[in-house]
Amino acid sequence: MHKITAFTSRNIKEILRDPLSYIFCLGFPLVMLIVMTLVNASIPEQAGMTIFRIDRLSGGIAVFGQTFIMLFTALSVSKDRSGAFLVRMYATPMTSSDFTAGYILPMLAISVVQCVVTYVASFIISLITGVELNLLGMLVSVIALIPSAVMFVGFGLLFGTLFNDKAAPGLCSIIISLGSFLGGIWFDAEATGGVLEKLCKCLPFIYCTKAARAAIAMDFTFDNFWLPVIVVSACAAVVAAVSSVVFRVKMKADLA
Amino acid sequence: MIAVEAKNLTKKYKTKTAVDSISLSVEAGELFALLGVNGAGKTTTIRMLSCLSVPTAGEAFVNGHSCLSESEHVKAEIGISPQDTAVAENLTVRENLEFIAKVYGFDRAKTISRTAEMIELFNMSEVENTRAKTLSGGWKRKLSIAMALISEPKVLFLDEPTLGLDVLARRELWKAIEALKGKITIILTTHYMEEAEQLSDRIAIMIGGKIAALGTLSELEQLSGQTGLEGAFVAIAERNGGSHA
Repeated sequence: MHKITAFTSRNIKEILRDPLSYIFCLGFPLVMLIVMTLVNASIPEQAGMTIFRIDRLSGGIAVFGQTFIMLFTALSVSKDRSGAFLVRMYATPMTSSDFTAGYILPMLAISVVQCVVTYVASFIISLITGVELNLLGMLVSVIALIPSAVMFVGFGLLFGTLFNDKAAPGLCSIIISLGSFLGGIWFDAEATGGVLEKLCKCLPFIYCTKAARAAIAMDFTFDNFWLPVIVVSACAAVVAAVSSVVFRVKMKADLA
Repeated sequence: MIAVEAKNLTKKYKTKTAVDSISLSVEAGELFALLGVNGAGKTTTIRMLSCLSVPTAGEAFVNGHSCLSESEHVKAEIGISPQDTAVAENLTVRENLEFIAKVYGFDRAKTISRTAEMIELFNMSEVENTRAKTLSGGWKRKLSIAMALISEPKVLFLDEPTLGLDVLARRELWKAIEALKGKITIILTTHYMEEAEQLSDRIAIMIGGKIAALGTLSELEQLSGQTGLEGAFVAIAERNGGSHA
């Protein structure tokens, strides 16, 4: 356990001391929150479009923020792998499980903090715009988003393990685009119907957004909350397991 | 007592044989140098001895533990400073040292005391709160070696410890390495003749993945009929068909 704690602590310090982590993990989601609130203010009420109203936007932005956690995980892992640092660490008694836990845990902690900051900002915006936001719902939403955080961190670990620090961010940006577009963050995917809706439902991202929004709205029905949470949890378990196995295989290959 | 032993150690990469059936034994407390030009197989040898690479054939032992079947035991007893300075860039010197101490399971009191010892041993007090990424090459090397030493290893592997350092930084690092002589078994790789001559108890000259000669400086001089390590190295290399491509 001491090995995981030490490695987790090192990774947290490395991330917190990198100015880019503040820009991408906190700054960018907050900027999008403000920009989309301004966009919402410009949409006439008659349009009946509520996707950018703060009570719906905040859950989507929380998921959007998690995609950047994936990017940062990939960058951290790929940078460590491309330098001699991991070579040194491979010669210590640390096992592949210690490494994967040490990469995943700090990112989960940062993801929770990011979510809380996003919701605090959302709450302030809700007070300004006069849209009601349920504090308890937001608290539940923070918890409901933990499985999706595991999934995105798992993707980050996977890309960081498989690709170098030049290729991994590029691949992550594909997931960021897919996640935000097909995750129903910027439009109501379920209202589109047809192939697009089916495509959205085949991917896990829309379930992340749906669970976050349902929790904020205190809508704990099976279809709107529990089903998305179950789907995302299952995907998170698969992605985390696959990324851990891939890391172990790559570590073994590095030591061959 | 034998601290490190290699028996017919071989490493092949597809068609290339990086290390070709080398055998050697290093006594506890000895400072042993693997000397050779780039590509001679020094780093590959050190990687196999420190469980970072699996040999294609042969065996390696550290304090009697097999590097293949008892790698956990071996890893607990060795420290390594790789060729590239392997430090956590955003951590300070002190934090890097404390991090490694914690990885080896040291409690808080021991972590603090060992960190203080390393900072004193390598005269790093002026940079102890400086982040590694802003350190000069010399300081980074010192930190890298201190990180390898903080776990109280019985065997220390130093891969090209002074590569790329200026003459002053190199001399200072030599002093630090010399201070460790006799207290711990050290295996270092180098292609600097002066470094091997100055620091080592025994030297193995590697050419084309093989050990072309092994002995003390005077033994190598006697074997080659030359004076000084450079002359001995060139004579042995020429005799063994070694060239620097």
